[in-house]
Amino acid sequence: MGEYQSRQLDGVFNALCDPTRRAILARLTDTEARVTEIAADFPISLNSISKHIRMLERAGLVTRSVQGREHVLSLNAGPLADAAEWIERYRRFWEGRLADLEKYVTQRKRKRQ
Amino acid sequence: MNAAIAPAAVVVRRNIAASAEDLFDAWLDPEALAIWMRPGAGIRNTEAKVEPRVGGRFEINMHAESGVIPHSGEYKVIDRPRRLVFTWFSPHTGDRDSLVTVDFLPRGKLTEVVVTHEQLPEAKREAHNGGWTKALEKLDAFRGASA
Repeated sequence: MGEYQSRQLDGVFNALCDPTRRAILARLTDTEARVTEIAADFPISLNSISKHIRMLERAGLVTRSVQGREHVLSLNAGPLADAAEWIERYRRFWEGRLADLEKYVTQRKRKRQ
Repeated sequence: MNAAIAPAAVVVRRNIAASAEDLFDAWLDPEALAIWMRPGAGIRNTEAKVEPRVGGRFEINMHAESGVIPHSGEYKVIDRPRRLVFTWFSPHTGDRDSLVTVDFLPRGKLTEVVVTHEQLPEAKREAHNGGWTKALEKLDAFRGASA
């Protein structure tokens, strides 16, 4: 995993650790949406919503396009796949290690008895 | 989609028929680590060096056909036999620190071992780096003294 990819993952994880941002992403999984539409869905100020959206954009999870006077947001799921890959790699790694830890400790116990 | 959004960390659990003490000790014993911290695929052998105290470091070198895969980190919490927390640094973490927490939970005759491995957010990691540099200096002094 390269430096760029790792930094990108940090951004993804930081972006995902907030419930409002996760809700915005969930909202965009169905269809793209205007910033004003998304703001209307949440009981917080447009200013706070804009901050959350900027963070999602920086993480590469959301793409903004300007259509006339409207800013339209769409989901970019690519970086999520990288995060999922990291999680999957370490899930396999630690499952394997804990299986070997069990073998090691139980065999040792038998020898002692 | 939602499955990928939910956790920014990986949690792995296993119930093992052994005491929390025996399991805990296997994480800090270099001879034990050399045996069980060896992923099967292509790893011929593993060497481990351990400085088992808070702020102390470990190195686990996994020897593969293609060369050595170095893993290292620093112990943050050593609470025998309940909890062990250490940073984890390897080519697979993008050569940056991540954090591993291991909990040992008594379950009757068994012990549940829970490994939580998470990436560190940017700010947190910078805070770690100060301790990291200091620990490296200390380790060098330690090696110098024992050489």
